[in-house]
Amino acid sequence: MGLGVAIAFGEMLSPGTYTNVQITWLHLPPAPGVFPNGFSLVMGTLVDPLSSLMLVVVTVVGFLVMLYSIGYMHTEHGLPRYYAELSLFLAAMTGLVLANNLLEFFLFWELVGVCSYFLIGFYYEKPSAASAAKEAFLVTRVGDIMFLLGIFLFFYAYATAGPNGGWAANGFVFAHNGSPFLAGVMGRNTPLLTVAGLMILGGAAGKSAQFPLHVWLPDAMEGPTTVSALIHAATMVAAGVYLLAVTSVFIGFTPTDQLAIVAVGGFTTLFAASMAVVHPDIKRVIAYSTISQLGYMVLAVGAGFAMVGLYHLFTHAFFKALLFLAAGSVIHALGTQDLFKMGGLKKHMRVTAAAFAIGGLALAGIPPFAGFWSKDDILGSVYSTLGSHPLYWPFFLMAFAAVFLTAYYIFRAWFLAFSGDHIRDPTLPPPHEGPWVMQVPLVILSGFAIVAGLFVFAPGFASLLSGAGIPPTYTPTDLGLSAISVGLGAGGIGLAWSLWGNGRVYVLPDDSALQPLRRLLLNRYYFKVAYDAFGLRVVYTVARGADFFDRFVIDGTVHGFERMFGAASDRLRRMQSGVVSDYAAYVIAGLLAIFVLLLIVGPYVVARLGGA
Amino acid sequence: MSLEELAFLALAVVAVATALLALLVRELVHTILWIAIFFVDLAAIYFLLEAPFLGVLQLGVYAGAVTVLLLFGIMVTRKRIFSREAATGIGPIPLALALVTFIFLVSAVGELPQSEVPVRSYAPSALSVLLFGTDGAWLLLLGLVMLAGVSGAIYLVREGRD
Amino acid sequence: MTTLALTGFLGLSAALLGVGVFGILTRRNFILLLIAVEVAMNAAILNFVYFAAFPPNGGSGLSGQAIAVVLIGFAATEVAVGLAIVLALNRLKGTINVAQATDLKL
Repeated sequence: MGLGVAIAFGEMLSPGTYTNVQITWLHLPPAPGVFPNGFSLVMGTLVDPLSSLMLVVVTVVGFLVMLYSIGYMHTEHGLPRYYAELSLFLAAMTGLVLANNLLEFFLFWELVGVCSYFLIGFYYEKPSAASAAKEAFLVTRVGDIMFLLGIFLFFYAYATAGPNGGWAANGFVFAHNGSPFLAGVMGRNTPLLTVAGLMILGGAAGKSAQFPLHVWLPDAMEGPTTVSALIHAATMVAAGVYLLAVTSVFIGFTPTDQLAIVAVGGFTTLFAASMAVVHPDIKRVIAYSTISQLGYMVLAVGAGFAMVGLYHLFTHAFFKALLFLAAGSVIHALGTQDLFKMGGLKKHMRVTAAAFAIGGLALAGIPPFAGFWSKDDILGSVYSTLGSHPLYWPFFLMAFAAVFLTAYYIFRAWFLAFSGDHIRDPTLPPPHEGPWVMQVPLVILSGFAIVAGLFVFAPGFASLLSGAGIPPTYTPTDLGLSAISVGLGAGGIGLAWSLWGNGRVYVLPDDSALQPLRRLLLNRYYFKVAYDAFGLRVVYTVARGADFFDRFVIDGTVHGFERMFGAASDRLRRMQSGVVSDYAAYVIAGLLAIFVLLLIVGPYVVARLGGA
Repeated sequence: MSLEELAFLALAVVAVATALLALLVRELVHTILWIAIFFVDLAAIYFLLEAPFLGVLQLGVYAGAVTVLLLFGIMVTRKRIFSREAATGIGPIPLALALVTFIFLVSAVGELPQSEVPVRSYAPSALSVLLFGTDGAWLLLLGLVMLAGVSGAIYLVREGRD
Repeated sequence: MTTLALTGFLGLSAALLGVGVFGILTRRNFILLLIAVEVAMNAAILNFVYFAAFPPNGGSGLSGQAIAVVLIGFAATEVAVGLAIVLALNRLKGTINVAQATDLKL
């Protein structure tokens, strides 16, 4: 952690520098038509403004979550497995952040994915956890395949472009001699590059749970809460946003791609926030808010403000980890995740209640909490592009509307859990605060959630934000915009208080016109049902065919070879008699065979070499 | 055909015959007798090739020491010295391999000059100069290998090892 | 001065090597095995002595004789080690029949 922060500080002191260390693993010579300038596989680390910011997030949040885990997980079985997986995950994430080329990035990307699978399925005895892990893995796999296709397309497009005879020949490195490698050819607008960019977007959508690949994240809450805090709030899902940011800074998106990214991001903000409004599970509410917040980041990156997106990622990581850990504290104390069973917890769990409130305020975008600054920054910068990109308007409005819903649902959760004077379900055990190792991270993260947004006023941090070759965009000039967004946030909180505050429980009347909408939201827009049906009908049929092919054609061949070698080795086995004379016979026979071979082949070799 | 050639022919026939007999007779002590004759026969060939030093060495080391060692080996491993070996069948594969080896080597003979050449003789002192030259590297090498061999042999036969 | 043709010598040593190989492959008594190895070894030594006596291109073949000396020493060592193996085998297995010494088999 210390190292990560130190690197970030170093980057702040000399903004905009690219520190690149790399080794070449393999260099293939040029092959006409495939890679005219050769192809390199390199491994290396690149420290730049993007990665140093991410490094802080990964290491600090990772450390705090590790600390929190000591308290939260102490009653669990399989702790060595848990910590090993968590460490592997953090290592992979650090590697991803520091990767200096696209292939290495992909390598760590997959490693992160598989760690996520392990950690979601930590309670693998539980069928729901196992299937959630599978679901997360499979859904992100869709994105991974798209990412890989994107890499192929970029390879095809940029095999010859860039300095020193092509990107591929230089191993897909992001930066070269202190500037983006593809600086000279960035911003080209061809259909091929558009498709490649869309593929990258697909990969990012899978990892960052953006519409329509969002389904796995809420289910991933089956894992331990610490895992949710680390992976599904602060780091792994951020990898998708990071991928988009890195791509936009070092490779460049075409305008069509940008519109697609903005559309996905903007739509996801509202879409996910709406589902969070009705959900009774405390962790899933936060999970939906994560999807929604990631939508903001994607929106910012798509509109061309990669650093702003990452800035929101930075602040979001802290307050979202805070929310998750606070929720974890509640779950740890009560053993349930159902909001409607809780209530009145603020008397018993003051630290947790305060931490959840701080996180909620930050999420709702109330100044001076962290979320306000970065979210406002995103809205402001996207607003500034609306003039030249009128197509961004609907998505901007969606993101704006989501501010209201965000404030509403997170405080609905807070009021349900903490306000009131008693617990609704009397069978639950009396609540209590966790041990100090659980409280300390809450306090530290609360501090970050309050001040992380203010970092932007520190000159070093600001230069970090502006150092990636992107104009400094945090200029809160649009005070009207800020006022509206704060007003919306406050309105959301007010609505939440009026419906749920003070232990009230608002029950939607059965004859309300909103009932169908509620059912739609509770069923998550029937996305899972549709995906399952698709999986059953289409994928299963294809799989049956593939299974047949696999069994009878591929396996048949394989087993045929197996039988052949089995029979041969059975004969060969008998040759090993252990009798010295037999071995001597083999030696002599082999020697003679070599001599005879030399006699036959030798003259040709000599003739070819032209010697003797 | 000169006298030398006649002598060589006779010696060669005796060498092959004794070698075969040594390997084929079923009385082990007879084997030793045949192989002793084989060694002496080879020593004679060395004399014929005007390499008297090697001839003497062959007599001393092979016909003398090695033969006695082999006899000693038979003595300690047999309860009765004169006992017959069980007959072993001769498989076709070893025979074929041996024949192929022979034919293969003989096929190289055609590459050599067929004419008679005078045998080159060296003074034994020249050989000793070569052996002891270059700081006695030849003999040093031989000595080291022998030392290693003897150490290994002693290790193998020492008592109470199993 | 003796004059001889080289061809006969090579034929002899080839024949001796053949006999040696034949013995190595067919004999089951370890001592006979050793003797067969000695026969093959002598075939090789003989070759060195021939080429010392008929050096190609009129050069000196003295090193051939030197190698022959060294090889005779090696052969003596080899017999010593071989006999040590015979004794060890006899003590371990009670026989020196190599067909019954199948410890090399896995």
